[in-house]
Amino acid sequence: MRSEKNIGKIEEITLSESHTKDLFNFLPLPVFLVSSTEKILEANPEFCKITNYTHEEVAGKNANIFFDEKRLKNILEEVLEKSFVQGKKTNIVTKEKEKIPISVSAKLIRDKENTASGYLMILFDLSNIQKTEEEIKNTRLALLNMLEDTEKEKGRAEEEKNKTLAIIKNFTDGLLVFDKENRLSLISPQARDFLGIEEKEVLGKHTSELVNVPILKALVNLFGEEIRKVFREEISLKEGNLVLEITTAPFLQGKDKLGSLIIIHNITREKLIERMKTEFVSLSAHQLRTPLAAIKWTLKLFLEGDLGQITKEQREFLEKTYKSNERMISLINDLLNVTRIEEGKYIYQSLFYDMSEIVQSVIDLFKEEIKIKNIKIELKTPGELPKILMDQEKIKLVIENFLDNAIKYTFPRGKVTVYIIRGTNEIEVRVQDTGVGIPKDQQSRVFTRFFRGSNVLRMDTEGSGLGLFLAKNIIEAHGGKIGFDSESGKGSTFYFTLPLKTTRIK
Amino acid sequence: MAKILLVEDEEIMIELLQKKLTQEGYEVLVARDGEEGLRLMKETWPNLVLLDIVLPKMSGFDVLNEINKNLSLKKIPVIIISNSGQPVELKKALRLGVKDWLIKTEFEPQMLLEKIAKQIGK
Repeated sequence: MRSEKNIGKIEEITLSESHTKDLFNFLPLPVFLVSSTEKILEANPEFCKITNYTHEEVAGKNANIFFDEKRLKNILEEVLEKSFVQGKKTNIVTKEKEKIPISVSAKLIRDKENTASGYLMILFDLSNIQKTEEEIKNTRLALLNMLEDTEKEKGRAEEEKNKTLAIIKNFTDGLLVFDKENRLSLISPQARDFLGIEEKEVLGKHTSELVNVPILKALVNLFGEEIRKVFREEISLKEGNLVLEITTAPFLQGKDKLGSLIIIHNITREKLIERMKTEFVSLSAHQLRTPLAAIKWTLKLFLEGDLGQITKEQREFLEKTYKSNERMISLINDLLNVTRIEEGKYIYQSLFYDMSEIVQSVIDLFKEEIKIKNIKIELKTPGELPKILMDQEKIKLVIENFLDNAIKYTFPRGKVTVYIIRGTNEIEVRVQDTGVGIPKDQQSRVFTRFFRGSNVLRMDTEGSGLGLFLAKNIIEAHGGKIGFDSESGKGSTFYFTLPLKTTRIK
Repeated sequence: MAKILLVEDEEIMIELLQKKLTQEGYEVLVARDGEEGLRLMKETWPNLVLLDIVLPKMSGFDVLNEINKNLSLKKIPVIIISNSGQPVELKKALRLGVKDWLIKTEFEPQMLLEKIAKQIGK
């Protein structure tokens, strides 16, 4: 269908008219004419611009150097068939072999005899559109990603919130959360439970309103409308049947207060146990000592002759009974002291005392026994000593214990030496004896409750085995150290230290 | 003859103390609970009171609180005779004007006599 003879006619028809030419030249789209043999007949400046060829270079060239040959053929065949096509996408190849995306619209040109004589082709540069499209695509992708991130963040925040809520709900302490305006924004189930209130009664209410809720009055008064800092303060509610320990903590962001957290720790049970313990000690003291006191006093009246004359034999038995009773009394005293130590109530009166005086006064207690057993006792002090803070009665108890053991387990004509040594930060008291000593295998148990050396058990059956346990507790409560060196058969040295500077005694 | 009011609920202790104190030449009055003790104090104005702490009806501490409300009663010296001697109890009693404190198991009759003599003379 393509024929050479048609070329001339096209030139005549199309380019003869000047306004057509103007249109052709100024059209802001690349336009060109191709012959039916695919030669470029004419191309406008816009076409030259996009391909980077000069007008002269373009004219007469085969169109397929600008396009993919197959694709061009394709398009042209379709034009032949349909007379025109629109928006066929392909690439145009520039002088530099660069491919620019374009869309092609083409129309078949016919001569007077209605024979196809060539093609008018209009191109549309898609590179910008494509770029924009890509940008849109990227923007959309970015948006999607952002959306996804936000979703994730939201999920994470939700998760955090759920976690926090779970913690709050399962926390054994009751929690109240106030916002920065001091309005109640959260009350945990435990807090509701302790206080016996419904969420709807209190939620969203300001501290100044909450004061009017009877059960909350004492609580709000404790930390005030502005919610000041409170650390483990006790309040007693419901006539002592509910004892709560309150701690408040502000939520801070930098210096800004975002709200407050109130922690409610229920200590009702602990308080009850504490009271029961004290009552138990009192009761035991009373119940255990009452009959012993009666026995003691009765025996004493007999022995002092208040109840009439007694024979020598009767007196001997009564004296032995009296001694047994005394042992029972001291055993019970020790037991009660142990209970009190474990209550943390043992050390109660601390003042400054001179250690030499204390030690001497205890040694004086043993005068009789020393004489009877013919034991030499010596006190070695470094002269003037600074006074130190102690519970005098308890420290005496420790020294008494050390001395009692030293004298009891030292053979007649033996020797006990008491040293008071001044260290840099402490004062040390050592009680050295020439007694039976403590067997190696038993040394680790010396300060445990009810310990009694096996070699000592054979010597006498007295002693509760609580003395050194008490001593250890007393010294440690004073912030001191206690210990001993001992060798079986040669003797023992028991010592303790008390710090020179003590700020507080437990 | 000096009059001693013994406020004590344990029969054997009453008997023992009564015996010892009478022998020493004191007149002994006995109350078996706190309420009776307080009443006898107001009725008989003893020279000295021996007061137990754990008592029926009114405890020794309740009695001390009542004594403290009455200026005249307050002048009568009180010695506590108790089985217990916890530091808290001791401190509390001293604050209430008690003159002395005896733990029954730790004292002998002779020592009690000395304490009484110290307060009111023989």
